[in-house]
Amino acid sequence: MVGKDCVAIACDLRLGLQALTVSNNFPKIFSYGDVYLGLTGLATDVSTVADLFRYKVNMYRLREERQISPQTMANLVSSSLYERRFGPYFVSPVIAGINHTTGKPFICGFDSIGCIDFAKDFIVSGTASDQLFGTCEGLWEPDLGPEDLFETVSQALLNAVDRDALSGWGAHVYIIEKDKVTKRLLKGRQD
Amino acid sequence: MEVLLGLTGKDFTLVASSKAAMRGVTILKATDDKTRELNKYNLMAFSGEAGDTVQFAEYVQANVQLYSMRNNSELGPAAVASFVRGELAKALRSRSPYTVNLLLGGFDPITQKPTLYWCDYLASLAQLPYAAHGYAQYYCLSTLDKHHHPDIDLEKGLKILRMCSDELKRRLPIDFKGLAVKIITKDGIREEDWVDDKQVLPA
Amino acid sequence: MADRYSFSLTTFSPSGKLVQIEYALNAVNQGVTSLGIKATNGIVLATEKKSSSPLIDSQSSSKVSLITPNIGMVYSGMGPDYRILVDKARKVSHTGYKRIYNEYPPTRILVQDVARVMQEATQSGGVRPYGVSLLIAGWDDGIEPEAEAKDVDEPEAEKKLASGKTGGILKGGPSLYQVDPSGSYFPWKATAIGKSATSAKTFLEKRYTEGLELEDAIHIALLTLKETIEGEMNGETVEIGIVGPPEDRLLGYEGVEGAVGPRFRKLSPQEVEDYLTNL
Repeated sequence: MVGKDCVAIACDLRLGLQALTVSNNFPKIFSYGDVYLGLTGLATDVSTVADLFRYKVNMYRLREERQISPQTMANLVSSSLYERRFGPYFVSPVIAGINHTTGKPFICGFDSIGCIDFAKDFIVSGTASDQLFGTCEGLWEPDLGPEDLFETVSQALLNAVDRDALSGWGAHVYIIEKDKVTKRLLKGRQD
Repeated sequence: MEVLLGLTGKDFTLVASSKAAMRGVTILKATDDKTRELNKYNLMAFSGEAGDTVQFAEYVQANVQLYSMRNNSELGPAAVASFVRGELAKALRSRSPYTVNLLLGGFDPITQKPTLYWCDYLASLAQLPYAAHGYAQYYCLSTLDKHHHPDIDLEKGLKILRMCSDELKRRLPIDFKGLAVKIITKDGIREEDWVDDKQVLPA
Repeated sequence: MADRYSFSLTTFSPSGKLVQIEYALNAVNQGVTSLGIKATNGIVLATEKKSSSPLIDSQSSSKVSLITPNIGMVYSGMGPDYRILVDKARKVSHTGYKRIYNEYPPTRILVQDVARVMQEATQSGGVRPYGVSLLIAGWDDGIEPEAEAKDVDEPEAEKKLASGKTGGILKGGPSLYQVDPSGSYFPWKATAIGKSATSAKTFLEKRYTEGLELEDAIHIALLTLKETIEGEMNGETVEIGIVGPPEDRLLGYEGVEGAVGPRFRKLSPQEVEDYLTNL
């Protein structure tokens, strides 16, 4: 979710097989320097893709002696997923970050074969995406400050996952500002 | 009807697996051991397709031991779990995937913390306080949800395991020939003398 | 058979030298001189285009090449080897970068990729080293935020350096590299390669000043070339490539928001003639 000079990215913590909950501490947001990547979908591919980009971004950093920008990361994710066009990773990634050259917030989402969905306001993904579209559409407004953005993204997420039997069990929320990132753990309903 | 159960406590990890080796509805053996010791502090329990299980477990076992020979140091539980997941994930998208579900019981000699990793044949990996595979998930997780606590001692752990074992005996339609129970502590891996002769009748 | 199992032709001599690489450098040092000069706002690459016969159509051969819209290259040494490297550089800038990140490689990354190609030729079986040295010039946008102009009424002299861009991935700006047959590469403010490299470099040392602008650099490039050139100097025999401000007119289209034209371009014979008359 985009705010004024800040962005937020949040995920729930459930890992399950259909209706059976296996774990209630399975974070889906991964950090790559200045860029944050959220991954929903098949758990094994969430781990595999997160590890793959850790490798790719680390190599990028060593080779170029700089952090990867959110935009460059978006194109890297897109090309990496499309490389597997005919045997895709079953994930729908979301990227959030601030471009330190322009100082502007950036978010985008992808389908499982790498088609980028740029957005000015918010990106949703996962089993509760229908509900998230509703809550985000209702709660989001332009130019929210970091505190208001945290409240908005948290309420949007918690209320969406409470209407989805396959999501929930706590949440991680990242508020990303130019020179500060705040990570908060939300307890959420444990049922 | 293979049973894999694991739980951690204050200073130990328990791993239990059913002793029946089955083919279809036929029980071939009543003293099967569905675990392999990877090193002093890591135990892997496995269930799934007959040929794959032992093949994969011993492949992992050999590689974990090869690592310590080459590097003069043992892999910790997190490293073992990561390695196993990597191998399983690699196999998943190959021509011949392994159909193996795993529990990785461990004790980290550095942090002195017990660990338990749950990994299914899709290579979904999660570190958990207690875990099960197969039908045991449906029968035991609720019992564990109610009674488990991270700080329990071994006696309490075994008591909870007994409750799980009784429930399985009560509900499973086929005899799984009792459990083989292994305990991982700071002293390494040992097998518990698990007395399993008590009959549990359906309610 | 030969492509499956062969030994490297480049092997150590007992004294620890790789003579094949030295021979390759000899080939470079017999080649036509090329030079490059970095300015504050761009770079110039210049070389002499010699033709063995007046019947040759000089328009159709070219020694200065565009690799990416912001990077250009020139060589001294063996022409055929150079054309292979131009092809490989253009290809790797796409396969190894643009198709992955949807942007063109920074100059240093491209230089490293080309240097790797040249290094591999010194260790692989059945091949000889490339008989060329390259000058690669490029402009990077940089990723550090533009520094706010602190003082509006700065002295005029310091405004030349106002951008603060001195090259490199972080700050952005112009950079000029030389790549040798061994695969080693060096960043330069100004340098020359080929037959008269030594005398040209001595000349450049005298003429080069900090805070040079592109127009001055082109002037110095032509003066340096004049010292070493063997034949006549005109628009047909001198080839110049520049990295300068973005040329939106070269895009071939207009009206697309955010589209930026290429910085690298070759000067036309007419443009070279104009510079020469003002020499």
